[in-house]
Amino acid sequence: MKIDHSLPLEYSTEENRLKILGFWIFLGAEIMLFGTLFASYFTLVDRIGSGPSGKEIFEITPVLIETIVLLTSSFTIGLGVHAMRIGRKKAMMSFFVITLLLGLVFLGVEIFEFIHYVHIGAGLQTSAFTAILLSTLGTHGLHVTFGLFWGLFILLQVKKRGLTPETANKSFIFSLYWHFLDVVWIFIFSFVYLKGMM
Amino acid sequence: MKELFPMKQILGFVFSLLLTVIALAVYFLDMSFSTGMTILLATAFIQAAVQLVVFMHAGETKDKGAIYTNVYYGVFIALATVFGTLLTMIWGYN
Amino acid sequence: MDFFDRFAIPHPSLAIYASMVAIVLTVIAIVVGLTYFKKWGYLWREWLTTVDHKRIGIMYLISALLMLFRGGVDALMMRAQLAVPENTLLDAQHYNEVFTTHGVVMILFMAMPFIMALMNFVVPLQIGARDVAFPRLNALSFWLFFFGAMLFNISFVVGGSPDAGWTSYFPLAGNEFSTSVGTNYYMIAIQIAGIGTLMTGINFITTILKMRAPGMTLMKMPMFTWSSLIANVIIVFAFPVLTVALAMGTLDRLFGTHFFTTNNGGMDMLWANLFWVWGHPEVYILILPAFGIYSEVISTFARRNLYGYKSMVASMVIISLLSFLVWVHHFFTMGQGALTNSIFSITTMAIAVPTGVKIFNWLFTLYKGKIEITTPMLYALLFIPLFTIGGVTGVMLGMSAADYQYHNTMFLVAHFHMVIIPGVVFAMLAGLTYYWPKMFGFMLNERIGKITAWTIGISTLVAFMPMFFTGLDGQARRMYTYSESTGFGPLNMVSFVGAIGLAIGFILLVYNVYYSIRYASRDISADPWDARTLEWATHSPVPEYNFAIVPHVKSEEALWDAKKKRHILFQGNYEKIHMPNNSGVPFIMGSIFFIWGFALVFSLWPLAIIATIGILACMAHRSMEIDHGRYISVKEIEETETKLRGAK
Repeated sequence: MKIDHSLPLEYSTEENRLKILGFWIFLGAEIMLFGTLFASYFTLVDRIGSGPSGKEIFEITPVLIETIVLLTSSFTIGLGVHAMRIGRKKAMMSFFVITLLLGLVFLGVEIFEFIHYVHIGAGLQTSAFTAILLSTLGTHGLHVTFGLFWGLFILLQVKKRGLTPETANKSFIFSLYWHFLDVVWIFIFSFVYLKGMM
Repeated sequence: MKELFPMKQILGFVFSLLLTVIALAVYFLDMSFSTGMTILLATAFIQAAVQLVVFMHAGETKDKGAIYTNVYYGVFIALATVFGTLLTMIWGYN
Repeated sequence: MDFFDRFAIPHPSLAIYASMVAIVLTVIAIVVGLTYFKKWGYLWREWLTTVDHKRIGIMYLISALLMLFRGGVDALMMRAQLAVPENTLLDAQHYNEVFTTHGVVMILFMAMPFIMALMNFVVPLQIGARDVAFPRLNALSFWLFFFGAMLFNISFVVGGSPDAGWTSYFPLAGNEFSTSVGTNYYMIAIQIAGIGTLMTGINFITTILKMRAPGMTLMKMPMFTWSSLIANVIIVFAFPVLTVALAMGTLDRLFGTHFFTTNNGGMDMLWANLFWVWGHPEVYILILPAFGIYSEVISTFARRNLYGYKSMVASMVIISLLSFLVWVHHFFTMGQGALTNSIFSITTMAIAVPTGVKIFNWLFTLYKGKIEITTPMLYALLFIPLFTIGGVTGVMLGMSAADYQYHNTMFLVAHFHMVIIPGVVFAMLAGLTYYWPKMFGFMLNERIGKITAWTIGISTLVAFMPMFFTGLDGQARRMYTYSESTGFGPLNMVSFVGAIGLAIGFILLVYNVYYSIRYASRDISADPWDARTLEWATHSPVPEYNFAIVPHVKSEEALWDAKKKRHILFQGNYEKIHMPNNSGVPFIMGSIFFIWGFALVFSLWPLAIIATIGILACMAHRSMEIDHGRYISVKEIEETETKLRGAK
């Protein structure tokens, strides 16, 4: 494997560069996935049947916690990648651990939120609105869940194998994924919650 | 310790918090639907751009062209889908 | 026994029982055959675990041909049923099932893999690469497609076929009106295959953008590679829509949500909307690579460079954007009002322009060319007039006011068959014949090939032209019978004759394969058609590493200019070549996806959970795995090259 030392580790081999570009294209598909969910959400948002509307069930506190936590985690993973680039394995791992913990907090709050919704009669089967609301949030939540496991696996590899072209590449791609989830959340925050509570 | 916290990223983070606060005005202040939506659209898309450039390093390699084309293309098609769907499913009937 | 009741077919018939027996016998024959000839190891090592793009291409090809016959039998049954008025060959329910599976199988499990087959086989060779960007992912794509297709195909013997049309419009496809598990199969099987397709899209974009031979700039890429690039871009942005729509449909059917129901706020029309947001780009995913094949074939056999290379590229880029902006023309009659319909009517007519540009480019390429009529060229020449019939009727359908007259009649059925058969199927047959020597090292018989092409070409006209007329007279699609007083009888009989003609054509194709395996000369050159692009610069059949030395490209017709202008393609000495290792994980993961899908279809939750864990375990395994690939030594390359050169 030819290693180009003039580039950061995650870009240092041809295979690594392919993987990073490939992942960006995957993110393009993800834009469309969430775009479709948003299109459906906007179509169904007022179709509440006999169930509650968004205004009735949304609460600002958990949403704000989720937003701040996810924004911070996006910041910390950015720091993690920076630490990786200056070769600070320990610092990088700490930032990744913090990121994953913040992800866990986010997920905890979201699960709490879901239980609350079901509790007040806004379950998956209540109406078209609740179905698309929980599906949109749920798709994002599943991405976060998947990310937690993925990140964990990468952390284990970095710990065991050190910063190699492969592990650096995986970590960088994971950071792209994580930032992207933050971007999606911003749109959920703005156009599901804030628009709904306006 | 200092080298672990580059200025660019800290500023990016502060800026994204700021955008969040601006967006929150929609909730805390009383405003018309169209003003609110304008604010939300602006803050959300700027926020996304900040993430893309500052944190995701979208423009740092020679694949820059491909990456940005990909993102713009995706955003364009996604917006076309959202507004086309609204046109077909809701506005067309009014 | 209650547990097993769910697997029974809700609406059995002799034909279904006969197919059950046939399936069981075929499976036994395959198992016994493999065991008797001791081929299990060979099958596993050389095919099931392969990550070689050429072999994956060939596996796609075999699947596509199998599915062509499955879908073809469905078609024959439909045409036989409609051949005479008030026929009782099929009852309404069977007819519903047959037209549903015919559509799904032909579009998603025949046309798509056929295109994947050619893309997989040809694109890396055309750009001078050793494989695709992510060979392992490529194998996974194939197995997901394959197991998705198999899951869909077992529906008619286990639990019942889907019967709500290939579009599966809600509320018909909802639990209320489709009570069997058939539509579950539809939702889940297509989901699995669709994920595979999405990954192919990502894989090929990366491959084409990053792995071209030195010197091959974007504007020097062969036209088939360009068309594949654009098709894959459309795949990446269209398939997620299908993923979401199918997921919502699945939730409706399995978990009682109200996305597309008619109560509690559900909106059945949203399904139609989302389906076509994906569905229309899908049409272009199919047609663009087909256009790419025609471009290659026409310029090869007109012995001219392609006229208007830049306008070809530009028209495809425009199509890729416009294809996402026309979807509403599939349901002009749904009631969204004049403004919406007008907008989409205009975009629809706009997209005919770049398509027209392409047709004229081919005609100008032919003009003053030294045309040599080979089988692939014959398909290309038949394509132009036939496709034009399909195209102009498409413009008729695209006018929303007029569409109220044509909608849901046989006119529409005739239109899209006249587009897809000449556009896609002819191209695939042309591509198959054209690339056959590169794949297998011998040529298909030209005489039988031409007879096949004429049979299929004429039969297409005979089968589908009458439908334009019965459609205009008011014959509705998807009706299992009609009364004699409608007067549709004679024209439908003509259609049936055309359908039989098509069947004969496809049987001739199979006969040609058999005949050529037995009698064709194995002594052919690497470039038997005197072609123009890189894939013909390596041996036939192609060695594992594609090119012993990576070619250097100076022009858009690299091989032609090497032959005529003495460009030197291969410079330097052999170096060791890095290749990916085979892996059984994609196959295993595909099988687990099959089990997962089956469990969801029948709501077998414990099994579904176990399968989900299995899928995640495969991914975890992949994450932790260390695999640096392997090297082919210079000595091995020399040996292979000497052997292949000797074989010429």
